[in-house]
Amino acid sequence: MTKVPKKIVIRELKNSFGSKQVLSGLNLDVFEGESLVIIGASGTGKSVLMKNIVGILRPNSGSIKIDGEECVNVTNNVREKISRKLGMLFQGAALFDSLRLWENVAFGLISLKISGREEARLKAIDHLKKVGLSETDADRYPSEISAGAQKRVGLARAIATNPEILFFDEPTTGIDPIMGEIVDGLIVSSVRSLGATALTITHDMDSARRIGDRIAMLYGGKIVWIGKTEEIDSSRDGFIQQFINGQVDGPMAGLITENSSV
Amino acid sequence: MGFVTATGRACINFLTATGRLVIFAGVAVSHIVRPPFYSRLVVRQIIEIGFYSLPVVGLTAIFTGMVLALQSYTGFARFNAESAVATVVVLSITRELAPVLAGLMIAGRIGAAMAAEIGTMRVTEQIDALSTLSTNPYKYLVAPRLVAGVVMLPCCVLVADIIGVFGGYLVSVYKLGFNANMYIKNTVQFLEFIDVFSGLVKAAVFGFLISLMGCYHGYYSKGGAQGVGSATTNAVVSASVLILGCNYLITEAFFSR
Repeated sequence: MTKVPKKIVIRELKNSFGSKQVLSGLNLDVFEGESLVIIGASGTGKSVLMKNIVGILRPNSGSIKIDGEECVNVTNNVREKISRKLGMLFQGAALFDSLRLWENVAFGLISLKISGREEARLKAIDHLKKVGLSETDADRYPSEISAGAQKRVGLARAIATNPEILFFDEPTTGIDPIMGEIVDGLIVSSVRSLGATALTITHDMDSARRIGDRIAMLYGGKIVWIGKTEEIDSSRDGFIQQFINGQVDGPMAGLITENSSV
Repeated sequence: MGFVTATGRACINFLTATGRLVIFAGVAVSHIVRPPFYSRLVVRQIIEIGFYSLPVVGLTAIFTGMVLALQSYTGFARFNAESAVATVVVLSITRELAPVLAGLMIAGRIGAAMAAEIGTMRVTEQIDALSTLSTNPYKYLVAPRLVAGVVMLPCCVLVADIIGVFGGYLVSVYKLGFNANMYIKNTVQFLEFIDVFSGLVKAAVFGFLISLMGCYHGYYSKGGAQGVGSATTNAVVSASVLILGCNYLITEAFFSR
């Protein structure tokens, strides 16, 4: 059996905002070609973790390596080189509202000089079709389409540059369950067709089961459980049990009280 | 003790904000001269700042020129110096009123729009999305606006100079009964290159300040709609105050003897 190399290696990652310690010495390995889903209650630092990996936030200390290359406290040039390997679907899609849909999808192709403007437009339309939008939608603006369609355009933008690693931030939040299943299906097919490594954060367990090869649970700024997707329902871990069953009482009761009092 | 603490905190906050602004400006300016260059975005901002501001700048200038002629005439008539109206109008317009009033009007129009647009991009994660698409937000969002501001404010002020002087001409000739040829002769006779040039230099500095404050407050906005609203207000107020302060310093540099 061949050993699968590690794509992302995170060690002792710490990040705080004022007096609030969000990540407190987090360790995580993501293997090449796998789809890892990170679950956790609201306010546990899932988005902070993802933003640290993609370089939007800087950790206070710790190490993040992608393909063995350190990503923390590096020069802009190194960061830009690493960014070329990444694609990300944001929670609210984060489409550029001054640009047409095809321009949004083609943005990375043009800015990275992968394609000229005309060629990028054709590729963008092709990607829009893959996520279920038509050629006539290409010239519309993000404000003219629904939230579900925006997510699909965001996905098309994320995969347009054929990234090696895809990040999905709450892909099904804010859309109906049917559209959620469609988006999850598109994520799975996109990741497989690209042969990419995927890291998803969500608190939607149905979505996590559909997308993930492995699932990790984040609590107290650390990974408290990690295992294969098919193992999660049989896990006796207190955190997992409380989370997947939506129980108020359990090891996370303190966090629930803290969040609800804000 | 509470007063001392509050004063100390205010001083530290002020110094922190000033340092952050200076670093923001330094990084943004460094991206103007480093490739890649987004010429399409510069052209878009030039049209937005220059072309679409012309109506408001033109209206401001013509009414200012008209009022200036009327006020100068009624004032100077008290000591029989009506012939100086043309000179006063052209010097006031080119040296002071056109750059300052155009600057303030454009700060209200463009500074607010920049802060609102970039602020909305910040709170909707569009700026984060730029980073993940290997695009530097300073280069993509800030640099084109700074270039367009520095280039287009002088153009707008030049137009304001012409329209403002024309406003003074209209009132002087058609209402106050000045001879048209004499008015034009008096306008040109005492006008020097430095009068127009100093106004254009002021305009370039004001253009930089308007774009800088709009981008800076938008870039650091947070907290949703309320944050964007605050960013917009802060951009206009800080740009206006800086325009008035820098106006004095530039005037001092050009005309102090």
